[in-house]
Amino acid sequence: MKIYGDLLSALRSEFNEKERVVLTHIQVRINVPFDRLKSYITELRELGFIEDETSLKLTEKGKQYLREYEKILDFMKRMGLTYQ
Amino acid sequence: MSANMYPTERMIVEAVATILCFVIVRFMAKPYKLTREGSYLGLPLGFAFLGISNALAALAYSPLGFDPKLMWLPQLTRTFAFVFLAVTYLFSNRKSKSSKLLGETTISLLIIAVAISFLLAFVAPQFAFEGYSQANVYLRIFNVICLAYIAIYTLRSHVKNLDPTTLWVPFGFIFLAIGQYTLLFWYIDSSFSAFVGSLVTTFVGLAIFLFVSYRTFYSSDKERG
Repeated sequence: MKIYGDLLSALRSEFNEKERVVLTHIQVRINVPFDRLKSYITELRELGFIEDETSLKLTEKGKQYLREYEKILDFMKRMGLTYQ
Repeated sequence: MSANMYPTERMIVEAVATILCFVIVRFMAKPYKLTREGSYLGLPLGFAFLGISNALAALAYSPLGFDPKLMWLPQLTRTFAFVFLAVTYLFSNRKSKSSKLLGETTISLLIIAVAISFLLAFVAPQFAFEGYSQANVYLRIFNVICLAYIAIYTLRSHVKNLDPTTLWVPFGFIFLAIGQYTLLFWYIDSSFSAFVGSLVTTFVGLAIFLFVSYRTFYSSDKERG
């Protein structure tokens, strides 16, 4: 799902800027209701993309997914497609 | 009729174009494979139809051949391919639930394309055969319109965010459009130069898509900046 890529990207950006991730900041970045954000985070953990729901640190699998996802966004941009 | 000229050359060209199209499809399917987003289905389906169209044309011109009454099938499939691509671009910038809408539209188009092909192939083949000569010209004009729309769309997209990496794709579609346009001339006046021109421009167009896909998915992170 596209939202997983957006969420992982937001988590990585938060980690790059701060020591701790604040969920409300993530919520603003990806623009989803808080309860849905929580369920997406649970799904990310179940998929093995993050270590746990507290630290929210990306696993190697999560980083790999994010790299692939960024390639896809780059590809869509090169193809002239911009989905809103 | 010019459509039956140079059968061996056409068979080879169509076979190579089929291979190129399916290699491109392999790249174009990556976004859908990773995200399962319906909106990412348009591009691979478009190029898959283009590949099927080339494969059918290669078969038609091969010694095996198929019933001349089915000669319209590659042309119709090619038109479906360009419609898929045009619809993908048409809906890609629509706000509010565009992703879901595009996914549903793509699936609907797929059903319509398969249903029309089935009806013309098995229920009323005579109808398709009789109208083929005229339809061929109109379908090619329609193809050029679809490709021109996509080329303009992608050029505008490039102008909005000037980035050298987005410049290639508009040219890819422009070359495909020129390929269709020159095929139209070939069909009308049997000009050999139009035939060669259409082949060259179509291959250049496909090569551009292959190059863009390869650069995106296999260039190093350093190159990607």
